[in-house]
Amino acid sequence: MTAPTLTADRLRSERLRLRLRGWRDFARRFSRRREGIVGAAIIAFFAVLAVVPELIVGPLETATTASGTRLAAPDLTHVLGTDELGRDVLNLTVHGARISMVIGLLATLVTVSIGVFIGIVAGYIGGWIDTVLMRITDFFLVLPTFVLALILAPILREIIGTSSTIAGIRMTLIVIIIVIGVTSWASTARIVRSQTLSIKERAFVDRARVIGGGSGHIMTHHVLPNVVGLIVANTVLTFAGAILTETTLSFIGLGDPFQPSWGQLLDAARSSGAPGLGAWWYFMPPGVCIVLIVLAFTLVGGALDDVLNPRLRARR
Amino acid sequence: MSERIPPSQVPPAAREDLLADDLAPAADDLTTDGDAVTDGDTATAGPPHAVGRRQWPLPKLADPDAPLLLVDNLTTYFSLEKGTVHAVDGVSFRLDHGEALGIAGESGCGKTTTALSLVQLLPRNARIVDGSMKLMGIDLAQKTENQMRRYRWREISIVFQGAMNALNPVRRVVDQLAEPIEHRLDQSPKAARKRAGELLELVGIPKRRGRAYPHELSGGMRQRAMIAMALACDPAIVIGDEPTTALDVMVQAQILELLERLRRELGLSLILITHDLSVIAETCDRVMIMYAGRVAEEGTVAEVFRNPRHPYTQKLLSAFPNIRADRRTLEVIPGSPPDLREPPPGCRFAPRCTFAMEVCSREVPPETTFAGVRVACHLYPEGGDGMPVTTPPPNAIGATAPLVPPPSDAPPLESIDEVRGA
Amino acid sequence: MGSYYLSRRLVQAIVTIAMIVALNFVLFRLMPGSPERATIRIPGVSAEVYQQTRARLGLDKAIFPDQFVAYIGTTLQGDLGYSYKYRGQPVSEVIGSRVWPTLILFGLGELVAIVAGLALGAYTGWRRGGPVDYAGNGLSLILYSMPYFLLGMILLVIFGVGLGWFPVSGMFNVGASYASFTDQLFDFARHLALPLATVSLGLIGQYSILMRSSIIETLGEDYVTTARAKGLTESHVLRNHAIPNALLPTVSLIAINLGYLIAGAITAEVVFNWPGLGTLAVEALTSRDYPVLQGIFLFLSVAVVLANLAADLIYGLLDPRVQA
Repeated sequence: MTAPTLTADRLRSERLRLRLRGWRDFARRFSRRREGIVGAAIIAFFAVLAVVPELIVGPLETATTASGTRLAAPDLTHVLGTDELGRDVLNLTVHGARISMVIGLLATLVTVSIGVFIGIVAGYIGGWIDTVLMRITDFFLVLPTFVLALILAPILREIIGTSSTIAGIRMTLIVIIIVIGVTSWASTARIVRSQTLSIKERAFVDRARVIGGGSGHIMTHHVLPNVVGLIVANTVLTFAGAILTETTLSFIGLGDPFQPSWGQLLDAARSSGAPGLGAWWYFMPPGVCIVLIVLAFTLVGGALDDVLNPRLRARR
Repeated sequence: MSERIPPSQVPPAAREDLLADDLAPAADDLTTDGDAVTDGDTATAGPPHAVGRRQWPLPKLADPDAPLLLVDNLTTYFSLEKGTVHAVDGVSFRLDHGEALGIAGESGCGKTTTALSLVQLLPRNARIVDGSMKLMGIDLAQKTENQMRRYRWREISIVFQGAMNALNPVRRVVDQLAEPIEHRLDQSPKAARKRAGELLELVGIPKRRGRAYPHELSGGMRQRAMIAMALACDPAIVIGDEPTTALDVMVQAQILELLERLRRELGLSLILITHDLSVIAETCDRVMIMYAGRVAEEGTVAEVFRNPRHPYTQKLLSAFPNIRADRRTLEVIPGSPPDLREPPPGCRFAPRCTFAMEVCSREVPPETTFAGVRVACHLYPEGGDGMPVTTPPPNAIGATAPLVPPPSDAPPLESIDEVRGA
Repeated sequence: MGSYYLSRRLVQAIVTIAMIVALNFVLFRLMPGSPERATIRIPGVSAEVYQQTRARLGLDKAIFPDQFVAYIGTTLQGDLGYSYKYRGQPVSEVIGSRVWPTLILFGLGELVAIVAGLALGAYTGWRRGGPVDYAGNGLSLILYSMPYFLLGMILLVIFGVGLGWFPVSGMFNVGASYASFTDQLFDFARHLALPLATVSLGLIGQYSILMRSSIIETLGEDYVTTARAKGLTESHVLRNHAIPNALLPTVSLIAINLGYLIAGAITAEVVFNWPGLGTLAVEALTSRDYPVLQGIFLFLSVAVVLANLAADLIYGLLDPRVQA
């Protein structure tokens, strides 16, 4: 048999084949885990709600376009009852999906960006930079970040102002996104750093250095691609945490009544006295949605972690 | 490879002074057999048995004339979601008082599963599906968990591989040794701790070191502590599962020497499980070679090592480099052990056997005995002369397993925990 | 536990607290509205008075090191400034009056959760499968995904409003006078019931899941097999071998959890109008009482660090392998 020629095309097609096989393998192993499938289905459901809420319930009702009587229990016209302004709770809840998910998504992006950046830099460069960065990271891990968020949010609000919007998102929500991002990056940074440390040991990084790649180049083109795969599970779990944090911050009063997330709806419910009046239909729908979406992301994140990071505990 | 002293010749007097005489056996503990006496045996507790060094009477149902351990057709399967693993498939052997039996074979051949089956400590997804394990005539395979508990440690104890994990890391060593003495032999905590200290001295650990935690002892000392712990209730049989594998060579030698001494002085019966044939050669009277869940060959160490009959045994022995012989290329057995979820029909070694014949892949080879050696191979049929075969017979097809096994289509077992059902 | 371990943990805690104080100072500088104007609170004040106040507060000196050092000095003495909302009242007093309701609620809640959660986790981990295990697991997972305040509202509607078993707000009945101390205690207990249930249930879910997986992992260890091989009964093995080892990672995680607990703490108090630090924080947020917010941040952060330190020490006592 003659030796096969190593052309660039053959290399590329070989790599593509391996990657496809990797995807197929992944899909098969992921589909084995029932809880992951359930979680993914729930996420898909809410994603649909988030993308086209108007198609399902019409435009977001406001105080002026309220369609029912105040705090009415569910009936045929309003399947989930009305709030203290007479707005349809189903309408509010469905629209809340988009707000909650978008805030969660953007906050996760900020968190993961900061965390990945710090993690790779600390892990790859090492030395005193690593020590300093890790000291800061550990500090943020010990700190009760929620209270920090509580203080940062009003400060940022005063600095940035609350009436303008960026890309259709109101400033108050932008503040929440930044605050979540700035306080939640620490655990991602830790995970990324330990992955970077183990990748650093591997041969291909040395080879890249020998060829003459600069540190920045190596970090973006060699370390980052290998790290990203491993933090996917962590990102999904971060998403769950971001949604919970946003919900809690909105509940405290940092949300925006004009772009109500589920947390903001819960705040409105409480301050209008709904629980004390027994008006469960006001806070249960957004509440159930929150539980479902957090549960879904937790399940998917756990399944991803099992599939992507198998732990071989060979004991005997 | 010297012969062992036959157990009947160990002077009984020499054993007594090694065992504390202030430890009286608990009144009715030894004479009842777990929850319900269903076997209808009415034998009463008799005088201490003459053979061996047991201080107190045998279990109520024991048959004084039966062999110490008689295993017949033991079959243990693991159920995984991907299939059933035939880990042990019809294994039989016998252990007499004062004997040392070595069980050898590759990883995954079923040695450890056999040992765990004897004390019914299998993982949740494993079950003994057939066969009997008669300890002095009492079939342990039929015992329930509650009944089985009575026999554990008092009749059979086990020293696990890698004692680091086999000792509780948050309790002191002497307390762990005293635990079975206190709870199984009904002794006061003080008496138990005193006895534990004596056991430690017996294996060469100074008594005061017993107050240490496991991580504070060296590997060798931990292994000795485990051996001392295994002797705590004066069992009839001690099983050693790879007791020296995790240790370096010097420490290994010390442990083997210790086992030797204990065997001599206490008249212990030993089952030694290992993949290292040199250990067996040094310590054991008999050896049983296992392959893929079945017995390949079994007999006295002298005979099996001098005249190996089964092709697998021959390959095993030749795979060990001999420090005194001339240099030669080590022989490698091509292929790998079969997937026990779908074992090949017939002889399980056939795909890798250079002597394989056509019948080998069709029929399971029957066990035949020649010169005191039991062998399961078609080269040694009933009625033949039983002489070791060293060249392939004329009708041999040879090994059909490739040198490098092809990637299998079945999804691989992803971790060892899957087999254990964790 | 070696003394090296002890001293190292102590030093780490002190350094962390120092960093917290430093961070607090930075936030102090970022605070909107200058402090001098806040203490005067009179618009149109003359420039002279303004300068005087600045000098009095030491704000005309350099930020670093003078103001920083002054800040550390006052903080160490317990002077956390003055509340905006409660004119003239020192922050330390405002916080001090609201600490003990929070302490009771969360101290008791944590205690109940630890005992019940660990017991439930140990039981379900030991007897895997079966209805208790599946029900408990499912319930724990749901509780884990639920923000505390939502659970609070649900309990409030069902048990407070619907069944009317418990009051839904405050710590005592407003304006009530009590015939005896036991009456007062009883009323207190009735008011405590729902908030306590809220806090405990959330935690029980977490702790039982954690303990369960810890026990399952421990039961697979070799020393447990050895213990069984010794012929000891299952309950003896569980009590003397499995649980002491399974507790170790659980203790660690209880400590780590303390920081995340705070978010739940604050919101749970808000739902029931429980007059503790949580409601104080939200009040301060809405009324922009920044000194009080800061004071709460400092107090809670230091409390968490100290609690973590205590947990580290307890872990060191439980695990003999922890040394240098």
